[in-house]
Amino acid sequence: MRGRFRPGVFWGSGVKRVGVAVLAIAFVVFALLPQQSQFLFHTVGGPLADLVAIPVRGMATLDRTLREWWMQYIALQGLSQQNHELRETVQQLRGEVNRLREQAHMAERLATMLEFQKETSVRTVAARVIGRSVSNWYQGVILNKGEEDGIEEQMGVMTPAGVVGRIVRTSASTSIVLLTIDPNVAITGMVQRTRDEGMVQGTSQELVLMKYLPPLSSVKTGDTVVTSGLTGGFPRGVLIGEIARVEESEDSLFRTAEIVPAVKFRYLDEVLIVVSPRSPEAMLSLDHALMPPGRQNPTP
Amino acid sequence: MKISAYTLLTLSLFSLQATVLSSFNPIGIRPDFCLVIACLIGFRTGPVSGLIVGFGLGFLQDLFSAGPFGLHTVTKAGVGFLAGVFARNLSNRQPHAAFVPVMACSGLSAMVFLLWSRMGMGWGEMLYGFSYILLPQAVLDGLVAIMANWVFGRWLVEAPGP
Repeated sequence: MRGRFRPGVFWGSGVKRVGVAVLAIAFVVFALLPQQSQFLFHTVGGPLADLVAIPVRGMATLDRTLREWWMQYIALQGLSQQNHELRETVQQLRGEVNRLREQAHMAERLATMLEFQKETSVRTVAARVIGRSVSNWYQGVILNKGEEDGIEEQMGVMTPAGVVGRIVRTSASTSIVLLTIDPNVAITGMVQRTRDEGMVQGTSQELVLMKYLPPLSSVKTGDTVVTSGLTGGFPRGVLIGEIARVEESEDSLFRTAEIVPAVKFRYLDEVLIVVSPRSPEAMLSLDHALMPPGRQNPTP
Repeated sequence: MKISAYTLLTLSLFSLQATVLSSFNPIGIRPDFCLVIACLIGFRTGPVSGLIVGFGLGFLQDLFSAGPFGLHTVTKAGVGFLAGVFARNLSNRQPHAAFVPVMACSGLSAMVFLLWSRMGMGWGEMLYGFSYILLPQAVLDGLVAIMANWVFGRWLVEAPGP
């Protein structure tokens, strides 16, 4: 049952007019001057974010404690513990298997890969998830590491199981990650078996699509997709997911594949922020070395 | 006293929503508790209070949002204000009377986010966002508002009638 609406006093008082004017000005500034307003918000909000992070951390600790207590003492103590350990083991083993598969695959093609083994080492910073996105429109998580720990925007975030997302905002002590299932995230991926590259992008349905695959690609369901390492943020060979479906369209110039992400985003607790992936120079020389001898361009 | 209460409410509500309540998604959609409270305060205590609390809550959400800075601030302040204007024109202040104003405000706010975050991604994304995020969230926010209005309504000072 609704209340009865009585039009006529909408623009009654001066306070309302002032309120509307303030809102309108704020919206116009925000819409027309995005760069300046972002800078202003960042300048004003940065120190405030560190203050607000204190109760958020406290609440996250309380949340974690309550959840652990619930899992351990209420809901089937023994099975829960065993399940947790097995899940961790599976995640670690999947990451390990993928890493080894990638290395073996490349080693088969060219023995020169061994020379680049040292360069595959990635410097990471471990971080804990202390909060989650408060909006349904952006899929993100809040981490407990920020600029003080050397974290910067556009850095990649992963777990041993695979790619998580990209840092989009930082304060002194926290950072925000936009997850790969968000439509606003795009990273370059590569089908491990066929070596076809494409753009991996999230969707509103919380799926991940691999777009712009070559039309003659032999990619199929079950193929593994890893990062190509061509764009910043991620090293080569980090697992993104497994292809669940390939769209067949004769009209399209490219093929698109649907990927099931390797990471279970609902259960994210700890992540690794890639502070220093392999340098672009190393990547170029690696690609040059991996190319068949006849196709190598002379270095200028 | 009022400012302290609102500040405490804003901080604790935001912290709760980002942590403990983040896993509360009964239909695959998380209700926006900050929006609901901004609307309810506007609804119960007037448009200016709604605007101020909405501004504070929105600003905090922006600080920890993966979206562009300012979007939550503008929309939450707007819906807090609008809810207050709605309420001034309603003679029925029962808890369930909050359903329609909050649902409408949530829908308006979500429309801004839909246009901002999915523009240029094709009609498929827009339609999906409208059908599976905007509409369910608006209804869910309205239902949460009825419960919150019933539980917390007695602590909120009623604004003088029209």
